[in-house]
Amino acid sequence: MSLFYDSHLVLIQSTLTGLLMALSIQVPLRMGVFSFAGAGCYGFGAYAAALLVIHQEMGALEAIALAALMTAGIGLVLGLVLARLNGLYLAMATVAFDLIIGVIAVNGGEFTGSSTGLYGVITDFSMSQMYVITVAVVALIAFSELGRTGRRVEAVRDDPQLAASVGVDVRRYRIVAFVVSGALGGIAGGMNVMVRSIIQPLDIGFTLIVLALTMIIVGGARSWVGAVIGAVIFTWLPDLLSAVGQWQELIYGILVAIAAVLLPRGIHGVLVDGYRWGKRRRRDGRAEELASDDGDEPELVLADPAPTPPDQHGLSRPTTDARGRA
Amino acid sequence: MQEILTAVSLGSVYLLFALGMSLTWGTIDILNFSHGSIFMFSTFTAYLLLESVSLPLVAVLLIGVVVGAVMSLVIQKLAFEQILKRARDKRSAEMQILIGGIGVATIPLAIAQHHTKSNPFGLQESTFDVTVWRHGDLFITNVAVYTIILALVLWAATTLWLRLTRQGLAMRAIGVDAETASLMGIDRQRLALLTMAASGAFAGLAGVMFTYYLGAITPESGDTLLVKAFAIIILGGVGSMWGVAFGAFALALAEVYVQGHTSGSWTDAVSFGLIFLVLLVRPAGLFGRKEVRRT
Amino acid sequence: MGGFNGSRRTRRGATLAVAMAAVLSVAACGDDGGSGGSDGGGGIPSTVKVVGIEPLTGPAAFAGLSAQKGYELAIKQINEQGFLGDGKKIDLSWKDTKGDAATAASEMTAAIADRNVAATFGSVSSQEAVAQSPLAQKAGLPVIYTQAGSDGVVVGDYTYRATPLMSSYYPIMKKYIEDNGWKSVGIIYTNISPTLDEIGTKTLPDLAEETGMEVTKSVETTSATQDYSAAIQQVLDTDPDVVSILQIGASNPTAMTQLRQAGYTGKVLGNSGASAGNLKPAGADGAGMAWPVDFDATQTAPSSQQFVKDYTAEYGEDPLNYAAEAYDAAWFLARSIKEAGDASRDGIKDGMKTEAGKTEDGALGSDLAWKDGTIEVPGVVVEWDGTGTKLLYAAGDS
Repeated sequence: MSLFYDSHLVLIQSTLTGLLMALSIQVPLRMGVFSFAGAGCYGFGAYAAALLVIHQEMGALEAIALAALMTAGIGLVLGLVLARLNGLYLAMATVAFDLIIGVIAVNGGEFTGSSTGLYGVITDFSMSQMYVITVAVVALIAFSELGRTGRRVEAVRDDPQLAASVGVDVRRYRIVAFVVSGALGGIAGGMNVMVRSIIQPLDIGFTLIVLALTMIIVGGARSWVGAVIGAVIFTWLPDLLSAVGQWQELIYGILVAIAAVLLPRGIHGVLVDGYRWGKRRRRDGRAEELASDDGDEPELVLADPAPTPPDQHGLSRPTTDARGRA
Repeated sequence: MQEILTAVSLGSVYLLFALGMSLTWGTIDILNFSHGSIFMFSTFTAYLLLESVSLPLVAVLLIGVVVGAVMSLVIQKLAFEQILKRARDKRSAEMQILIGGIGVATIPLAIAQHHTKSNPFGLQESTFDVTVWRHGDLFITNVAVYTIILALVLWAATTLWLRLTRQGLAMRAIGVDAETASLMGIDRQRLALLTMAASGAFAGLAGVMFTYYLGAITPESGDTLLVKAFAIIILGGVGSMWGVAFGAFALALAEVYVQGHTSGSWTDAVSFGLIFLVLLVRPAGLFGRKEVRRT
Repeated sequence: MGGFNGSRRTRRGATLAVAMAAVLSVAACGDDGGSGGSDGGGGIPSTVKVVGIEPLTGPAAFAGLSAQKGYELAIKQINEQGFLGDGKKIDLSWKDTKGDAATAASEMTAAIADRNVAATFGSVSSQEAVAQSPLAQKAGLPVIYTQAGSDGVVVGDYTYRATPLMSSYYPIMKKYIEDNGWKSVGIIYTNISPTLDEIGTKTLPDLAEETGMEVTKSVETTSATQDYSAAIQQVLDTDPDVVSILQIGASNPTAMTQLRQAGYTGKVLGNSGASAGNLKPAGADGAGMAWPVDFDATQTAPSSQQFVKDYTAEYGEDPLNYAAEAYDAAWFLARSIKEAGDASRDGIKDGMKTEAGKTEDGALGSDLAWKDGTIEVPGVVVEWDGTGTKLLYAAGDS
């Protein structure tokens, strides 16, 4: 076990940073905000944390915290400036922001190490610290999906007008989405540079966005659980596929395409459906027992379970589906 | 002056590439992120064929067009149609089409990378020779001239088709309100296939012309263009034919100007910075309609 | 070509199978295997396990695959000769980084955790090597790189680089510049690669100053640049005697084609990124580009010619510089193990330190020395004639 742990340490670390990176894009997405600014904040956070360690001799935790604070601030500014943008227009504006961060990193001369980047960021950052930070952050996100906050977030996503009409400050939620996304990106970038000890311009390109988006869509876009599933799969899949040899990229692509085509709500969606189906079956089973006591034909009961769309059950409110076809 | 020639040539390549992407995105709502892969693989196929037989320009173009159209149709049938069939709502369909496209794109990429080991490949084995026409200090290649003509003609033809024909009307109707359009008896699936085929053909054409224009491309060349085309369409406004033309030439002009007058290191920042600024002023692009989507 | 490819594919398949079998057997017997060079110290076991971590697929595969051939040739010779002692063999297995820095780092941790692994060959890609080095150095696992010319690759006594830095041998272009009597130069360089960034902003301008050339213009291009005409025009407008194009492999044919289209007919100062047949697509337009390189199959040193002969016999093609560098890297490792008489990680480290203090003949030339963990090579200057490279001169020729 410990041999396995040691030899896969990098993958475990990548899973954790990948998870926070994915969340930094998923959180705004859950509020209907199509922002990729989290990727730029990841880059900014990584460079900022590295520079704080190198020049200010700061400890790892302080550097990550300060970097996250800065990227949260960047998120705030972006949220205010880009308030009027929506959909893929917002996506493009934030992609532009991400690419500009990359260009600044290349052009920063000695300060950012230009195309070489920064290396030798050596700190006392430990794995237990990394676990604690990640778990704490994910717990906060998970908490925000419950109860009133969770319902409001869904309302803001699914029908901003309706949400506004019942007194939800949509604008404020959007800005919070940007700030949280920025902070998450900053933490992810900061932690990554602490465990890798290096950061290069090529690490923060467009591929970062693609990877995070793939994790979310295939894992599931509606819940932090989806991000966890996606982060685990897409960090470990390439490693597993390396056994296939030279065609691994091909198989990777086919798997992503199949998942995107066949699983509209990601793997998390399938799990939720499966769980509910199982629960219903148990319930139906009980009903069946009762029914057979009354002498009814079991077949009749079995013929019934037309798979009701899961969202009509419990957790989500009717508004979610009301405009599903829009 | 030479700069303008360069910018117009480069802008035409961008236009040819972005045209197909813009067409499917603006009408049938498919933002196809495998467009760059289709672009590359059509050329790659032509390159493979040229290894065994030398062909003239027209034949090479035809190969590009056919391979592009077929790939595009296959992707539409096997991926995008399936996604739309299963999707719950439009927003999640959009996202899945995006990811599905990215996934599909890696398949031709992996094949081409495996074969070329990511070395550059070109179309020199064809009978067509790139020649340079000079006039005083100015020069332009025959490829650039053909590219400009092709891009403008195809752009105009597409625009007119959308404006004037019944099919075009149907396309625009789908773009505005797909549900109602279906109710009015428009066969969406067939039109979607037609659009995707045209889009793939444009990608194949762009691939061949761009490869002659640059002398060589690599399997990864399509990816770079993809991000630029995305920017071009957004800059102009999704669904606007004037927008995509303006976006293509504006981006080319900005790039050529910065690369031609500065040390060059800020080129990407300038072009993407401009797009960022334009979006601040015009949130739906320069020629964009106000969100046609109702909730 | 087709037949050759086919045989290579099977060979690689076999290699992978062996690599996988090795992994499986290690996983099965845990870390008590008596075969490897763990830190026990002292003696060379019957099998010394070495892992090569290279991009064998993806954008850098052309270099990774070529290096792989060089390593395998050397290991084969070492084992056949019984160089490490009777019946003692180096067991080399491969890990593919796919051109991804995170994967490169991950494979390095896996190698570190496997106590049977005595040493590793690191990635040809700077970006990947920089991610591997801190891990290997911290954990005390010897790693020898080829290529990877960035800062942050050689970071301590466990990390060595068997490829000279391009900036160390680029100055041999001095003779070429002086022979041609150029008085001014215009430079178009890319900022994607730290190596070319350094040559474009420092090494070449310094060389220009030394040879009395004026730099009329220096234009930087980026990873998103596909069309070089604007940059070329800006440089040509300043009317330099010679143009320098410093681009990564795939951009060279485009830049050369567009340079010729813009009306420039003179010579071009390039870099070894244009080698490996990358200029072929440019056809006749590519002719006239000259660059210094640490190895060319036509160079005359006897040890280089011996290598070329062995390589051609094995693979039926001329070796590229990547293969030559890898060949020397593998022999450096073998000599270090023999020198220390110890195949433990620390033993190899000590052996490498001693070996790096000596000079040796190798594929890259005669009397190769090491400085600060990086090999130093005199280098040769070659020119592309439209179909192949021809040797212009070797360093030290006059």
